[in-house]
Amino acid sequence: MEQALIRLMCFGMLEEITGFKERQLIGKQDTDQFRIWLNDEFPELQKIDFVIAVNRKLINQNTVLKNEDEVALLPPFSGG
Amino acid sequence: MNDHKIKNIFVEGAISSQKIAESIQSHSSKKEIGGHSIFLGQVREDVLEAGKVIQIEYTAYVDMALEKMQIIREDVFSKYPLSCMHVYHSLGKVNAGEICLFVFTSSKHRKPAIDACAELVERIKQELPIWGKEILENENSQWKENN
Repeated sequence: MEQALIRLMCFGMLEEITGFKERQLIGKQDTDQFRIWLNDEFPELQKIDFVIAVNRKLINQNTVLKNEDEVALLPPFSGG
Repeated sequence: MNDHKIKNIFVEGAISSQKIAESIQSHSSKKEIGGHSIFLGQVREDVLEAGKVIQIEYTAYVDMALEKMQIIREDVFSKYPLSCMHVYHSLGKVNAGEICLFVFTSSKHRKPAIDACAELVERIKQELPIWGKEILENENSQWKENN
């Protein structure tokens, strides 16, 4: 099966913690797999409050990742 | 996908009083309107333990924010009998004392204009992926938190 290539984006303080604003990531079938990778790669994120958006929609359950999906890590909003 | 054109709400830097005045003026031809409600968010010179806030630098997940704003806009239009709704939010640096959020609703009567404006402000602050980084006078910074 072809491996999904996703576009991973970080915002706000998460950009400072991970050291990147945007990168590509391959081989994560769903957001649960993605979270495991994220915890291994950036253990310091376990202490941070954030939500995940897939294709600009917040997700609250495991979500299958497809090629070219946009996965974003969003810290608590503070607009206004 | 809906077929409404997605409106931009973002303005680079502070929102000028001239822009606000022009926006009010542009409604003089809409004579069915009987009441406007305006909310202006201003960058507060908070004095924090780490220092005094002199500026907020705003960043956003622009595509998601605009899609979400479109949904909020449609929700609020379907809930209140409004003639007009305008929303502007700053990106980039805004100094303490300058305007960073401008919400403007208009209706035949005051109540829907006021209620819609208040609801928009709350939803904008809670639901739009926008972040403010508070720049302190000692050149340190910290991420703003909304209450």
